[in-house]
Amino acid sequence: MSTEEYALDVRSMTKSFAGKAVLQDFDLTIEPGEIHALLGQNGSGKSTFIKALAGYHEPDAGSFVAVGGKDLAFGSPKDSFALGCRFVHQDLALILDMSVLDNMFMSSSFPMRMGVVDKREGRRRAKRALETVGLDLDLDTFVKDLRPAERTGLAVARALLSHNNETPSVLVLDEPTASLPTIEVQALLATVRRTAAAGVGILYVTHHLDEIPNFAQRVSVLRNGRLVGTWKTAEISHRELVEHLIGEALAAEMNTQRDKVDSDLSASPAIVVSGLQAGRLEDFSISVRPGEIVGLYGLTGSGREEILPAIFGSLSADAGTIVVQGKTLEMGRPDAAIRLGIGYMPPDRKTLGGFMSQTARHNMTLLSMKQFFRGGFLRKKPEVAEAARWFERLNVQPQKAEEALLSTFSGGNQQKILLGKWLRIDPKVMLLDEPSQGVDVGAKLEVHKQIALAATNGTAVIIGSSDVEELASLCERVLVLRDGHVAEELTGARVTVKDINTSFHSDINREGLVHA
Amino acid sequence: MNSVISKLGLDRFSGVYLGVILIIVFGFATPEFLTPATFHVIASSQSIAGIIAIALLIPMVAGQYDLSVGTNANLTGLVVVALQGYWGWSLPAALVAGVALGVLIGFVNGFIVVVLKVDSFIATLGVSSILTASVIIVTNSVVPPQPTSAGWKSLTQFEFGGFQIVIVYLIVLALLAWWLLEFTPAGRYLHAIGSNRDAARLAGVRVNRWSWIALVLSGGIAGIGGILYTSLTGPSFTFGATLLLPAFAAVFLGSTQLFPGRFNVWGTLLAIFVLALGVQGLQLLSGVTWLSPMFNGIALIAAVALAVSRGRSRSKGSKQSKEVEPPNEAAERHDSPALTGVS
Repeated sequence: MSTEEYALDVRSMTKSFAGKAVLQDFDLTIEPGEIHALLGQNGSGKSTFIKALAGYHEPDAGSFVAVGGKDLAFGSPKDSFALGCRFVHQDLALILDMSVLDNMFMSSSFPMRMGVVDKREGRRRAKRALETVGLDLDLDTFVKDLRPAERTGLAVARALLSHNNETPSVLVLDEPTASLPTIEVQALLATVRRTAAAGVGILYVTHHLDEIPNFAQRVSVLRNGRLVGTWKTAEISHRELVEHLIGEALAAEMNTQRDKVDSDLSASPAIVVSGLQAGRLEDFSISVRPGEIVGLYGLTGSGREEILPAIFGSLSADAGTIVVQGKTLEMGRPDAAIRLGIGYMPPDRKTLGGFMSQTARHNMTLLSMKQFFRGGFLRKKPEVAEAARWFERLNVQPQKAEEALLSTFSGGNQQKILLGKWLRIDPKVMLLDEPSQGVDVGAKLEVHKQIALAATNGTAVIIGSSDVEELASLCERVLVLRDGHVAEELTGARVTVKDINTSFHSDINREGLVHA
Repeated sequence: MNSVISKLGLDRFSGVYLGVILIIVFGFATPEFLTPATFHVIASSQSIAGIIAIALLIPMVAGQYDLSVGTNANLTGLVVVALQGYWGWSLPAALVAGVALGVLIGFVNGFIVVVLKVDSFIATLGVSSILTASVIIVTNSVVPPQPTSAGWKSLTQFEFGGFQIVIVYLIVLALLAWWLLEFTPAGRYLHAIGSNRDAARLAGVRVNRWSWIALVLSGGIAGIGGILYTSLTGPSFTFGATLLLPAFAAVFLGSTQLFPGRFNVWGTLLAIFVLALGVQGLQLLSGVTWLSPMFNGIALIAAVALAVSRGRSRSKGSKQSKEVEPPNEAAERHDSPALTGVS
């Protein structure tokens, strides 16, 4: 096929940040009407590719992209849209309190006639777009009353609407099923099939390997910024895909390199959680000993994200009891949790973790200022000295910048400062939610080192993460969550990248879709 | 260029420079300006405005508005006068009752904000209107006579080194507020809440409790300001409303001064006096009566605009730090006080 006939033709796309290539020589083609699945771990370069396609990143020189036979100008969201690239992200960007119709025209604005909104024309176009994706929705229904798959379908239909009545060339669906209950997934897949049948080339990004057979025509796998390969779906097994996805050799190598210190098995637990229910999470129990590092793995919607905030009390739990060294914790009260010795690092440091408009020192000492408060005044000298000590211990860059605002540090150094804030008060239990999200490799290593050190000093650690390698390299025990439940508990030699992934994808074996 | 600005402190101390320029310009423009009288008038009249601004500053640090400070002062001042004139209360008893009334108003504000979960802007706007009505109910639309006791007058009407004593009261209150906001854990908690409410809660700060306390302090200090104003210039029905806007302008303008990006006591007081210099000078030049509200209105808008743009330029500066991660990660969310104050 020549370039003109592809819906999307990507050739040797490379994208570097600060001299480091996160995507290298990436090639991909999608035919009109094809559903093409794209697989890749976190950090494999998937999102960078999608953002480059959408015009938010500008690829390096030498990269070439054609959409529907026309060259794409890089770094321009406008051009990407004009050539017919459409995107539906995991966060659907729908407004729940508005009608289906109003949501349809939220981004592209209603058709106008003689200076007023032409509702009738708007309804006609909306109806047609919904028909394309095979949805029959009442245009006046509020989005909050739609089923989850219908909401995603609506987002797809909205993406297909265009100003000039032309069908878009490429639709990118970024993990559309990540937060959908299993029962809704089939409905959404049907919607996507209908859309492809209308001649749209579809790039389908997913973590769920079981969705691919009988759905996508071809599948591509990205690992560490490089394309591992592209296969016809019918010609590749599930096991082969998993191996391509995580890299068998690397996984094996990583497992032998770990030197995890096993905690004292006879110690009485530092924290006992029983019957915890919150959001999608149902009946979760766990007990962690001092010095033990336990990992929680699961995707968005698995219930994994609710666990740590519910224990800490920042998210109100529906049921459950938590006992910390014999004392029952008052639920829903972060201040009470801190008093009992629980620390919590939330996943989003910008909105929940730190005070961006305050200095690093103020961020670090907020939890406990007693030692600086003498004779009715907070003494600056010992406080600065304390912050400086932690700067050195955590290797925060730039050095000696205790008085700089938190916002001026890089993501990794912000994370180190916020970790130091908690380690300072020597918590009995430390809860870490995505501790190395959006953090560069060096800072990630430092954060891991400090977590391990804290555990060695007797802190019980629970890490929630969607980074399998992080969990495999740190944890003594990993709980894999699916559909609000613990699907499997991996211990000892089974705490490896491969086993966590296998366990996570094991629902496929159960359903017998592909033989592993 | 930027380094020159920061060396001379043109950004942090722009208020000081502006004040000096105003004094020089008006000094040349009108001979009446550079007289001790001008400064005595500004000192005494603006001391009360400064006290009200400090009352407002404390909840603003914690991201809470208190629009009732002006009417609170007005009602409290009138009640203290009425208690002495109509009911024959002794001065100390009336003073205690007055401060207690101010505190009570702050407590009610806190209740509405924390328990009823009404946004502080709306809550205190409503309370302010209720207080305006209460002024009429309490006084029956008749301005109560100024108490004749010597104690009441000498509360404010004696001089201290050529200046009215009220400036001393202002300095004492400012020192206390400074201590509270900058040298105690409580101050850190208030700043933390104002900077990021959710993060403060996750750091174990009792957000509701401290917001409530801030509003109670605000009410109490506003009450004191009202009593002092009434003692100094006599009871009136309308003085409260005229105090609110300058206080707001000063608090916001103050957040661009001395410690940019941070609501602070001395920046607020600097702003109060620089604004007053401007008003006073223009008044002497033009003699029009609409000058003060016009000037304060413009100053308020300019102050907030300045605080917002300051926050923006600071976020630009942070991007110069070396980032290894993709740019979208580096896009910082910057909360300048002007913005967080509104949320």
